[in-house]
Amino acid sequence: MPDAIIAEGLSKTFNGSVKAVDGVSFSVKEGEVYGFLGPNGAGKTTTLSMLTAVLGPTTGRATVDGLDVSHNVHALKQRIGLVFQESTADPDLTGRENLDLAAALFGVPLRDTPKRVDELLNRLALADSADRLVKTFSGGMRRRLELAVGMIHSPRVLFLDEPTLGLDPQGRAGFWKIVSDLRKETGMTVFLTTHYLDEADGVCDRIAIIDHGKIVASGTPSELKDRLGGDIVTVRPLGDAAALGPALQALPGVTSVTAQDGTFRVKCPSGDTLIPKVVGAATGLGIGLAGVSLRRPSLDEVFLEFTGREFREDEGPTATDRAVFLSRVQDSRRGRR
Amino acid sequence: MNVRRWSALTKRELLKIVRNPAAIATGLLLPVLYLLLFGQGFNFTSFLNSPYLTPVQRTQLLHQYLLGAPDYFSYFAAGMVGFVGVTATLFVGANVIFDKLFGTLKRTAASPATAADIFGARLVAGSIQPVGLAFLVLGLAILLGDVGLAGLHVTAAVTVVGAGEIVAAILLLSLMFASLFLALGFTIEQPQTYFALVNAINLPVLLTSAALYPWGAMPAWLQGIASYNPITLAVEVLRIDLFGGNFYPYAAWVYLLGLIGWALAMFAVATLLTQRALAPKN
Repeated sequence: MPDAIIAEGLSKTFNGSVKAVDGVSFSVKEGEVYGFLGPNGAGKTTTLSMLTAVLGPTTGRATVDGLDVSHNVHALKQRIGLVFQESTADPDLTGRENLDLAAALFGVPLRDTPKRVDELLNRLALADSADRLVKTFSGGMRRRLELAVGMIHSPRVLFLDEPTLGLDPQGRAGFWKIVSDLRKETGMTVFLTTHYLDEADGVCDRIAIIDHGKIVASGTPSELKDRLGGDIVTVRPLGDAAALGPALQALPGVTSVTAQDGTFRVKCPSGDTLIPKVVGAATGLGIGLAGVSLRRPSLDEVFLEFTGREFREDEGPTATDRAVFLSRVQDSRRGRR
Repeated sequence: MNVRRWSALTKRELLKIVRNPAAIATGLLLPVLYLLLFGQGFNFTSFLNSPYLTPVQRTQLLHQYLLGAPDYFSYFAAGMVGFVGVTATLFVGANVIFDKLFGTLKRTAASPATAADIFGARLVAGSIQPVGLAFLVLGLAILLGDVGLAGLHVTAAVTVVGAGEIVAAILLLSLMFASLFLALGFTIEQPQTYFALVNAINLPVLLTSAALYPWGAMPAWLQGIASYNPITLAVEVLRIDLFGGNFYPYAAWVYLLGLIGWALAMFAVATLLTQRALAPKN
C-alpha cells in the first residue's frame, strides 16, 4: 500500500532558538490511522501544522497524498481535512450555515452541497440543531460540527489535532466511533494527535511517541507494549534496601530491574508468578516491604519506558479548555439576565 | 479570486453584521452624538441673525466661512455623514482579531480560500454597511430641523448624478478606512492594541479634516493639511452636492479622484499585509 504521508527530517524552530520539532521522520500508509502521542508541548501540533501547510518547516520535507507541503499548498488544502483542537466554527452562524460555507470554501459542487450537508448533519447527530446558532451548541456538538466541517469535501487524508480534548468519556467514545465508521466507509487516511493514552491505544493502527520534539518510539500499540518485555512488578521496600536489587535481578524470569527513588521496577513475562518470589527474596534478606504491585503493559508504561518519566498531565489549560470555559461563563451570564 | 468562495465569505460577513445590531449602533453612536450635542450647542451661525448685520453682510460671511452652506449645522452635518465612513468601518478590523482569537480565521486560512478571497469579502461587506448608515445619519440630520432643533437644510437641487457622487464618496472613504482597519486587524494580535491604535488614528484624522471646522475659520496651514485629508475630500463632495459648488475650487469628480487615489493606496498596502499575515508561517 502506498504512503499517504511521508516526513523526512522535519524540524521547526521558533524565534531562531526554540526547537519545537527536531528532525522527525515517519511514514503513514494509505487508509491507516496513525497517532502522534505525547504531552502538551511535545511537538505534536507543530508537526501536524507543518503537514497541513499551516506552518512552514524550518528544515526537512514532507509530502501528503503525494504533494509537497511546502510547494503545493493550495492543492494540498483541497485534499486534506483538518479538525483543530479548538472550536473554529463561526459562533454567529448556524451549524448548517457553517457547513454551507465550508462546502463553498472547499469547492463541493453547488448542486451536491445540500445533500452532503444534510448527510453529515444526520450522520453526526446534529440534524435537530442544524439551524441553531453555534454559540448555543454544547462542547460535544461543537466537536462533532468540527468533524463535519473537516469531512465536508470527503478528504483523502484527515488530520485531527487533539479532537476530543475537553469531552467527557462518553463524548470521546462517540466521537471515535463516528471517525472509525467514516474511515471504514471512505478508506481515508487519518493522522491524529492526542495525549490520551487510552485513545491512542484503542483507535490507532500505529503510534509514534513524541517528546521534546523527537520521536522516541513508534510501532503498533501491541508492538510497543511487547517491547516492554511483559509485566512490570513494582517493589517498594521499607528503608534502605540496596541489596534487594541484585536479588531481584537473580530471580528466574526477570528480564530487567531498574531502581528509582527507592523503588524497583522489575520486568518479567508473568508478574503473577513472580510476586511470591519477590516476597520470598525480600524476606530471605530480612527486608520489609511497603508494597508490591503488578502492572500489565500499557501505553503509560511504554511512555515511561521510552521517556524515563511519567506521562505529564499537569500542563495548563489548552485553547479548547479556555474556549469552553469562556463559552460556559457567557452562557451562565445569559442565564442570570 | 474565486467568485464562489468570495461570495460565500461575503455572505458570512453580512450575516454577522445583520445579527450584531450593537456593532451597527456603535458605528452610528459617534456621528449621532455629534449631531445631537456638538452640532446643536456649537451652531454659532445663529449669531448671524443679529439685527446689526445686513442681509448682504450675512450672506458674505456664510460664503466666506461655510462655502455656501446655509448655516453651520448644515455644513457640519454633511461632515458627520461623511465621518460615518470612518466610524462604521472600525469594527471590520476588530472582527478579524476576534476571529483570530476564537479560531474562526484559522479555519478559513486552512481552507483553499486565498488571501484575496478572505480580504475581499471583509472589505466589501465592511464598505457596504457605512453607505446605508450614512444615509440614516443624513435622514436624521434633516429630520432634526422638523422637531425644533437645528437641522440640515439642503439648498441645492440634488440630481441623480449628485446622489451617485454622494454614494461614491462615502463608499470610497469606507473602502479606504476598511482597508486600513483590516490591515491593522490582520497584523495585530491583541484587541487592546488595535483599539488604542484606532483611537490614535481616528481622532487626529477627524481633527485635521474639514468635517468640523468652518473652512474660512481654519488657519492656512490647517487648510493645507485638510485639503489632502480623505475625510475632507469625501465631505467636500457631499457639500457640493447638497449646497452647491460655487465656492469650491474644483468640481466634485476631482475630489472623487483624490478619494480613489487614497482608496487604491490603502488597498495596496492592506492587500500586501493581509497576504503576509495569511501565508504559512516560516
